[in-house]
Amino acid sequence: MPDPSLRKDESSAPPLIASEVGAPPFRRILVANRGEIAVRIIRACHEAGMEAVAVYSDADADAQHVRLADFAVRVGPPPPAQSYLRMDAIIAAARETGAEAIHPGYGFLAERAAFARAVEEAGLVFVGPPSGAIDALGDKLHARRTARDVGVAAVPGTLEPAPVDRADQIAAILEDAARIGYPLLVKAAAGGGGRGMRRVATPAELPAALASGSHEAAAAFGDGSVYLEREIAPVRHIEVQLLGDVFGRVVAIGERDCSLQRRHQKLVEEAPAPGLSIEERRELHRLAVTVATAAGLRNAATAEFLRAPDGSFYFLEVNTRLQVEHGVTELVSGLDIVREQFRLAAGWPLSAEASAAAERAAEPAGHAIEVRITAEDPSRDFAPTPGRISRWVMPSGPGVRVDCGIEAGDRVAPEYDNLIAKIMVHAGDRAAAIARLRRALDETEIAGIQTTVPFHQFVARSASFGAAELSTAWVGEHWDGAASFEEAARVAQLAAALDAVDNGVLPSGATGGSSAGAVHPQGNITPATGNGRWVAAGRQAGTDRWPR
Amino acid sequence: MSDEPKSARVIGPRAVLARVAPSMAVPGTPPIVIEPEIGPIAGRVVIDGKAVAIQLVRRDATHAILVEGEGDRALRHRVVMLPLAPAASAASRALGLSTREVIVDGWRIVVEIESAQRAALRERARTGSAGAARSGPTEMRATIPGQVLAVSIATGDPVVGGQPLVVVEAMKMQNELRAPRDGVVARVAVGPGQTIEVGDLLLVLE
Repeated sequence: MPDPSLRKDESSAPPLIASEVGAPPFRRILVANRGEIAVRIIRACHEAGMEAVAVYSDADADAQHVRLADFAVRVGPPPPAQSYLRMDAIIAAARETGAEAIHPGYGFLAERAAFARAVEEAGLVFVGPPSGAIDALGDKLHARRTARDVGVAAVPGTLEPAPVDRADQIAAILEDAARIGYPLLVKAAAGGGGRGMRRVATPAELPAALASGSHEAAAAFGDGSVYLEREIAPVRHIEVQLLGDVFGRVVAIGERDCSLQRRHQKLVEEAPAPGLSIEERRELHRLAVTVATAAGLRNAATAEFLRAPDGSFYFLEVNTRLQVEHGVTELVSGLDIVREQFRLAAGWPLSAEASAAAERAAEPAGHAIEVRITAEDPSRDFAPTPGRISRWVMPSGPGVRVDCGIEAGDRVAPEYDNLIAKIMVHAGDRAAAIARLRRALDETEIAGIQTTVPFHQFVARSASFGAAELSTAWVGEHWDGAASFEEAARVAQLAAALDAVDNGVLPSGATGGSSAGAVHPQGNITPATGNGRWVAAGRQAGTDRWPR
Repeated sequence: MSDEPKSARVIGPRAVLARVAPSMAVPGTPPIVIEPEIGPIAGRVVIDGKAVAIQLVRRDATHAILVEGEGDRALRHRVVMLPLAPAASAASRALGLSTREVIVDGWRIVVEIESAQRAALRERARTGSAGAARSGPTEMRATIPGQVLAVSIATGDPVVGGQPLVVVEAMKMQNELRAPRDGVVARVAVGPGQTIEVGDLLLVLE
């Protein structure tokens, strides 16, 4: 992993500002989130010499982020609406503990302009874009209009909310849809993560899709506005990491390919996006900076684009927050994006490190890949699998970074996001990064709940992924979860049965089973079979463990 | 022995039957019966009546390598085996089942193991008394825990295979449960707003 401090010498370092030498941007930060991202932010606080305040719901009283923080404040019972989404409780917690700034992470209140405004009004600093920019860019329709105004091509579609609640307007919506062409997508103006999104193949499906999409959007975001957008397929999803300071300077730190998705949820992300020339990269970064500058962006945000098969980019939206996948950009740029967020929130200009990273954005150092380990069953259409984790072994070693907020014995609660860990690898080039990913996943052991690890094992061994044949349809085209499960189940059955035969551990009637490693209850292993095999296996284990 | 048809095979007292626990609900994974081969050959066992070269090389109490085949062409699978535990349900425990969670390639698989002789006896008892229930009603059960958001059918409604019947919200996502086949709704066991657990009965199709 490149060390940012080593990079200073390479850049034509502008004179350091007094405030940057030594002193941290704040004294104490409240982290308004949970799980891996809360842990990530707390770590950045501590590295920058700042104290961290955690907030937690009753479901998280023993969570890792609470333990790592210097202060912790309970904000309510498990449901997010009664805890992590309670603006008043979180601002009160900041006041009580004397935190000067609030970092929202991603999800929860991260993109609620009302929260940013409330934080500002409380005399605290919101670590993120100003509420005005969140309003402007968080509304995808507004962002689409902004892009149009500065000459950046957006995905073809509508620019105003569809009047879903007015029966007399359905003809007008159908007309818009016919102009855009089918299949198309119904999308939530306030949306993210695919919530409120519906794919519509024929006009007949449109009214129901509008209604259900709007309902889901209203439930998820408190705003049921939806609009129409053409479906471009096959398509790659590429996004640009942006940073902006209060002096109006916006820079791109690099791009990420996030094409491997399932139900519009990203599964694998990498930086840089494979197959782009340096010129294409520069052009993409320029488009992103143009839209963000026009929208008055500050702090950190991400501009998302679609890349059509002909290579053209279409602006999709801007996420005004730290992204889940920011780590891959950190690995190839050497920049600590969260730390940079704190400096920018304090009103400091873009740091020398950030400027240097922006200059190198089109020619990053090596290649990084992130896989999202989520509590989902990839053999059952990625259905959620909340439950208790009984075993938790994460990989380590050269070029491996794991961001997680969980450990053995923890419960993955159904109330919250099912992302439980991000395994990131960094190496000199893409092939080496994939090899490192395979190695890292082989070291990973999670039991108690099913996760997406088998899917990522498959990706890391896929010839298609190796050849960077990426598209948002990749998962559906390549992944056969049931077949993968069945092969693993066969091996698991053999191993469990073989172990029982070898050790003579047979479940004996109504008393339940005997424990692993117990001797044969009947004690009748004949030397020719059981013992002989056991000795042979034991001998081999010895040779494997002590190679010459 | 390996040439004999399966049904006529004599299962020894040390034979073990292993199957994926029904709670995992993935059909199409047949159980296996495995027993030590008679004779002084190390590293061979009898699986479903056939002698095969397969062995489990233990690394420690939890880690092992399953080696299938011999020599350079052998397939090696890394397996993580968690401690043997009594089956989760009292019914399964009463049947003498133990379970073991095994991790293979990131899959966590709960394997039930029991005496193959005992399993054979039980199977014989079951097939004797069953028979009539072949084309009976289909029970739809919850495969994910969550909250029922909408139920789009009522008792007596005809449905076609693939038709969305129940919407369940879990982890902020809406999941549509669809009819597995054509039929008529015989019973609706849940209503909107209800919290459900994995395995809960949702409705019955006839």
